[in-house]
Amino acid sequence: MSSRSVQYTSSPLLASKTPIWRSQFIVACIALGFLGLVARAAYVQLIGNAFFKRQGTVRHVRTLDLPANRGRILDRNGHILASSVPVPSIWANPESIDRDPEKFKALAKLLGMTQAELEKKLSDEDKNFVWLKRQVDESVAKSIEDLKIKGIYARKEYKRIYPEGEAVAHVVGFTNVENIGQEGIEREFNKDLGGKPGSRRVIKDKFGQVVEDIGEIILPEDGKDLQLSIDSKAQYFAYEKIKEAVISNRAKAGSVVVLHAQTGEVLAMTNYPSYVPDKRGNLVGEQLRNRALTDTFEPGSVMKPFTIGLALNSGRVTPNSVIQTAPGSMVLTGTTIHDSHPHGALTVEQVIQVSSNVGTTKIAMQMQPQEMWETFSQAGFGQKPPIAFPGVVSGRLRPYKTWRPIEQATMSYGYGLSASLFQMARSYTVFSHDGQIIPVTLLKSETTVSGEQVFSANTASQVRKMLQMAAGPGGTGMKAQTMGYSVGGKSGTAYKQVGKTYGSDKNRKYRGWFVGMAPIEKPLIIVAVMLDEPSNGRYFGGDVAAPVFSEVVQQTLRMMRVQPDIAVKPMVVTQLEKESL
Amino acid sequence: MSRLSIILLIAVLLSALYLVRTQYESRALTTELDHATSEARRLEIENDRLDVERRAQATPKRVEKLAREQLHMRTITPAITHYATLPSQGTASTETVRP
Repeated sequence: MSSRSVQYTSSPLLASKTPIWRSQFIVACIALGFLGLVARAAYVQLIGNAFFKRQGTVRHVRTLDLPANRGRILDRNGHILASSVPVPSIWANPESIDRDPEKFKALAKLLGMTQAELEKKLSDEDKNFVWLKRQVDESVAKSIEDLKIKGIYARKEYKRIYPEGEAVAHVVGFTNVENIGQEGIEREFNKDLGGKPGSRRVIKDKFGQVVEDIGEIILPEDGKDLQLSIDSKAQYFAYEKIKEAVISNRAKAGSVVVLHAQTGEVLAMTNYPSYVPDKRGNLVGEQLRNRALTDTFEPGSVMKPFTIGLALNSGRVTPNSVIQTAPGSMVLTGTTIHDSHPHGALTVEQVIQVSSNVGTTKIAMQMQPQEMWETFSQAGFGQKPPIAFPGVVSGRLRPYKTWRPIEQATMSYGYGLSASLFQMARSYTVFSHDGQIIPVTLLKSETTVSGEQVFSANTASQVRKMLQMAAGPGGTGMKAQTMGYSVGGKSGTAYKQVGKTYGSDKNRKYRGWFVGMAPIEKPLIIVAVMLDEPSNGRYFGGDVAAPVFSEVVQQTLRMMRVQPDIAVKPMVVTQLEKESL
Repeated sequence: MSRLSIILLIAVLLSALYLVRTQYESRALTTELDHATSEARRLEIENDRLDVERRAQATPKRVEKLAREQLHMRTITPAITHYATLPSQGTASTETVRP
């Protein structure tokens, strides 16, 4: 037996002791493993695909809001009256908040609330979002951040800022914390100012950075800037003057309206008391009301020029026709109409100048109620002024068919109908604009406008002359005169209705006002001033409102760079001669 | 045939890798663009904020207060104003106030 003939294949050393099935088993296991992978892949990519896609979206796809900037509100010279700036708002996640009593105490102090209030806000642990305080100061937010409390966050929100403060508050209004206009222009033009927010869908990576846009981006449409007709300087000046007058006359309130007599733009409209739009903590309705537009009262003598204007326009009288007003009173269907004191025979011009009720009544009774009603209506009485502003009232002018003769008489001198100060100011465009009542606007528009013809240009000019006399020597509104500029206007005074009566002598309440224009030959501005319940001894419109008119006219015309139209004694102090040494 | 398949396979692999790289680059650029956009917006907002602040420093109320209290100025009236007419607007004013 030769060892060379040994067959290796049959060598006992090489003879496998492991059965073949084991290797087959391993192969099968690996195959199964692969099969499992394939099945999983098929499940992930085909069967369960929707679920996984959804999960991926939840983890990485975000919809980002693209907020639209709220438009600014500007005055006629482009100065900012309202603008939005981002400020921090503090919010918390009660689920995950770190309730460290020491830090809580500091936080409550920074937020300006008691610890109990803070605890209450954070009591619901199921919530994961609670506002703690919205729109806080930058410094407060910084201090809160420095406390490093887990679960307390800040986010930026837009806040409206009103740099001009209370002077223009009633016109501009304000927005709420959600940036929706609540009052004034902010409310009326909320849609235009607000714009439309946009959005974009993005994929964010694990660091929170945007890595890809998905789909179309909807760009935000920023709100439009709105330019008002208001002149912030004139507005401020009018506000200061009415504020002074209200305080010195111990009145309840006051309003001023300044209109551009040619374009119908509102240059200023202000009321006192007012409020600071940024700090609206303890606001009351009294402060909020834009009295110039919302409060109506009987216009009194301010109506007389319309009655006289109608009589002139229809040719019934001329400015020099003589009317007998002696003995200073007359009886009409059982009711007596008085003048403040007897005047005797007056020309039509003088009737306006001394503001005679008897004279006006005598002229009015020559006319039909219908024509008077038509003229008053055309001049805007009993109609809502065509101005875009919330809360504008129409006043009251009853239909002529229900007028009794005594009512026709009282209406001719301004009682038995009511109007807002703004309506009165606008009605005087009839006299300033050659007999036309012109549309008014709070938005800048420097074009000269035309409107419905109420009187002829000649009548308007004749009435202007009478208004100038009324504001001149011997007139009721002498205090309306102002240095450098010719003025004309009519004052009014009324007892305020207290309950159903006008009150007894002791507790009578008054209202005084003045409506006029300047320069009288070619008026550029109409100014109306009203003081509610002046109670410092003087209460006639000519005493309390006319001085405010005078100052507002002078400063407004100066700001408009109008050269004085009447002679002024110059008081320019020139350099003195040098003293000889 | 099989050689062509291999070449194509390699080409597919290379293209796939290139796609991955491009995707990565595009994401990096998107991130950068996003940063730049938000920075632009931040600056815009900052500009608005500064505009408001500037106006708040120049309101008539503040100007008047400063003029009166610090500079001792007073409100002007036509009596202490000298009016000059520009020659281009018609005839020049010859009326002057002489010392």
